[in-house]
Amino acid sequence: MARESTLNGHVQRVSTGSTVLRRLFVGSFLLIVATVLVAVVAASVGPFNVPFTHTVSALMDLIGIGDSIAKPTEHAIIQTIRLPRIFLAFIVGAALGIAGGIMQGLFRNSMADPGIIGISSGGATGAVFAIATGLSTVSTFFLPLFAFIGSAVSMAVVFLIASVGGRFSMATLLLGGIAVSSFLGAVTTATIILTDDLNVQRQIIFWIAGGFDTARWESVQIAAPIIVVGALITIFMSRDLNLLLVSEDEAETLGVRVVLVRNILLISASLITGTAVAFSGIIAFVGLVVPHVVRLIVGADHRVLLPLSALGGGLFLLVADTAARVVLAPAELRVGVLTAMIGAPFFIYLLVRSKARLL
Amino acid sequence: MVNPENEFRVTVFVLTGVLSFESSIDSRSKMECVMPVVQHVLEVDDLSTRLDGKLIVDSVSLSVEYGEVVGVVGANGSGKTTLLRTLAGLLKAESGEIVVGGVPFSSGKSSNVASRRDRARKVAYMPQSTESHPFTVFESVLMGRYPHLGRFALEGSSDRELAWDAMERTSTVEFANRNLDTLSGGERQRVVLARVLVQQADLLLMDEPTASLDLRHQILTMDLVREELRERDAGAIVILHDLSLAARYCDRLVVLYEGKKIADGTPWEVLTPRNLRTAFGVEGLVEPDPVTGKPHVLLLGSENSSSGDLIGVGRKVHLICGAGSGRELMHQLRVAGYEVSAGVLGTGDSDREAAERLGMEYVSAPPFSSITDKQHEDHLELVRAADHVVLCPMAVGMNNVRNVSAAVGTTSLFILEPPGARGGPGDSEVADYTDGLASGLRRGLIEQFGDILESALLFELARVAGRA
Repeated sequence: MARESTLNGHVQRVSTGSTVLRRLFVGSFLLIVATVLVAVVAASVGPFNVPFTHTVSALMDLIGIGDSIAKPTEHAIIQTIRLPRIFLAFIVGAALGIAGGIMQGLFRNSMADPGIIGISSGGATGAVFAIATGLSTVSTFFLPLFAFIGSAVSMAVVFLIASVGGRFSMATLLLGGIAVSSFLGAVTTATIILTDDLNVQRQIIFWIAGGFDTARWESVQIAAPIIVVGALITIFMSRDLNLLLVSEDEAETLGVRVVLVRNILLISASLITGTAVAFSGIIAFVGLVVPHVVRLIVGADHRVLLPLSALGGGLFLLVADTAARVVLAPAELRVGVLTAMIGAPFFIYLLVRSKARLL
Repeated sequence: MVNPENEFRVTVFVLTGVLSFESSIDSRSKMECVMPVVQHVLEVDDLSTRLDGKLIVDSVSLSVEYGEVVGVVGANGSGKTTLLRTLAGLLKAESGEIVVGGVPFSSGKSSNVASRRDRARKVAYMPQSTESHPFTVFESVLMGRYPHLGRFALEGSSDRELAWDAMERTSTVEFANRNLDTLSGGERQRVVLARVLVQQADLLLMDEPTASLDLRHQILTMDLVREELRERDAGAIVILHDLSLAARYCDRLVVLYEGKKIADGTPWEVLTPRNLRTAFGVEGLVEPDPVTGKPHVLLLGSENSSSGDLIGVGRKVHLICGAGSGRELMHQLRVAGYEVSAGVLGTGDSDREAAERLGMEYVSAPPFSSITDKQHEDHLELVRAADHVVLCPMAVGMNNVRNVSAAVGTTSLFILEPPGARGGPGDSEVADYTDGLASGLRRGLIEQFGDILESALLFELARVAGRA
């Protein structure tokens, strides 16, 4: 390697530099193609199977190409039930993937996940409140609304804890997040135990396990803009995040407005995560595992890592949700359970691997 | 060290001088307006920084010229790093001015005058240690281009060429595609140096750039810094712990002690045994480096160290000195374990003050009065009791000429050359106000015993001790 680089100095010079765009384009292309293929499968399979040819023609029809050969029922199932679910699973996965990448960068720790500063448990508490008080039955949007409010409030509390004394500290942010999370977890558990209504208990457990069975176009319409805008903001700041990850001092002396960039990234990642949690419940390990795998393949440059984590997270959750619908058919496994079942062993593998490297 | 700015200024000056004979004064002032001459890349005025309420940098003023390397030395906790971090904009100064290339930078509580980006293009900072991160070496070197790129711009081929050149110069090319956290501390430090070079700043602030480097890379790194500054006419402030390395590579040295600047000048001016004692609490010999002729510091030890195996333990050395000529030796000999006496010293003489402070045996006399028989007798007693006698190159007048004669008849005498005898700083001859009487005595003694440089005395004594 060393000899090669000195012999072919110029070749290396050229190839080493142009990889940012190349990695981004190749990675995005592969992930988008895979996502489209999985989406076709996801739109076809289920309790009511639709032939692939019908699915493709129905999808083409929806974007205005050709005439559908699908039967009206097939068309209706794809359009009103499966497509919104596919879209929601994808954007929630994208949200968790990119937010995980940001948090891992900000905390300089590849074991960080999007909910690390208490956003997920805040969302759960908000949802539990809506379910327990019966507000969730008043309007279908009260559940995501209260979940979002819960996320926002817990995020604000954790930020306040980290800012006490006028000096903002990432370490306190992390510890505050853990403390607030376990407090809110206890509140949720207490609510489940103290509720007599079995139906309420069941709803809470269902919500916490995370899933997309209630996905509708309206959910996509609300969640997508927030997540897309948040993702774009953070992708535009990904070079600053690179420098922050190197060291705050070095970032500062290279001209990064450290505090501003850090706060924008933290708040964007939190809003993205809060929105995802509000519409899906708690889906574990996507935000942890996806950026980690993407980093192993394309490297740590956030200009590549963040967009590909978004696409990869979307694809992963779409696959997981489709699997959750199919594996126990006609019953449905909660997708949050499935991702945890895949994610936890993988997390253990990462721990063992990083420990092995230290030894 | 020829500075193009300087040269230019001289040219302008000569030109205006010629022009002013023939044309109006207008043209002269116009020329001076067109070409404002900025001589200093950095000017710091009365800078103070507080950390947790404690004053760490205390009213420090200093300047760095274009092309100049200024070394900052001092003990741990003397405020070196805090000073550098304040200059880099990482800490807020409590008061004072920082001017880089004629542009005032944030100072005290006033708002930023130059934006962070502008600052990053002018000032590069190399931290003491680097944290590990998951980027490759090439990626992290390329990050030095950040202040030169627009928000949405990607690094272009010129940026990559710069990064590659910097990696070649720091011999980190072979790691280009490796992750930074797989490198050793020294290799990592060279990667950070490459990143600092890529930043192309006018002023480099380097906090112990050689701290984790092996001997060869220390030399290579400092050579590189010098070369870079010459090429781009930039300046640097470098914190170094190795004083000899600092002397070799810095044009000027600044000594910090408890946050204050206690010395500022050429290495020869600054690296004196006295400054070493004040700033570091150690005794050191300062000799010319055999390769560069720059001062080389040999650490002798500290007053408080309690090593049992000192060479001078049980041996008495008597110094015939005066007017500060024996002061440093008193300290140095004591650190080496010798029992030291001195005579005859006038009251108010700095040698007498040192002898008093060190609790030595000595004979004293009123200032500028001739030595009495009694004093001379006492002096001879001390001379006889000593194992070795040292004749220092002090100025001799009729009042103290008897001191020189006290050396006559001793068996182990060391005669010290005046400090400037071999081109070093200081007088090249011993001042004689006795119509040649003292010089004659001295010449006679030198014929018998030879003479040596002050910095060689401890070596000579050790050689004698080794033979014994």
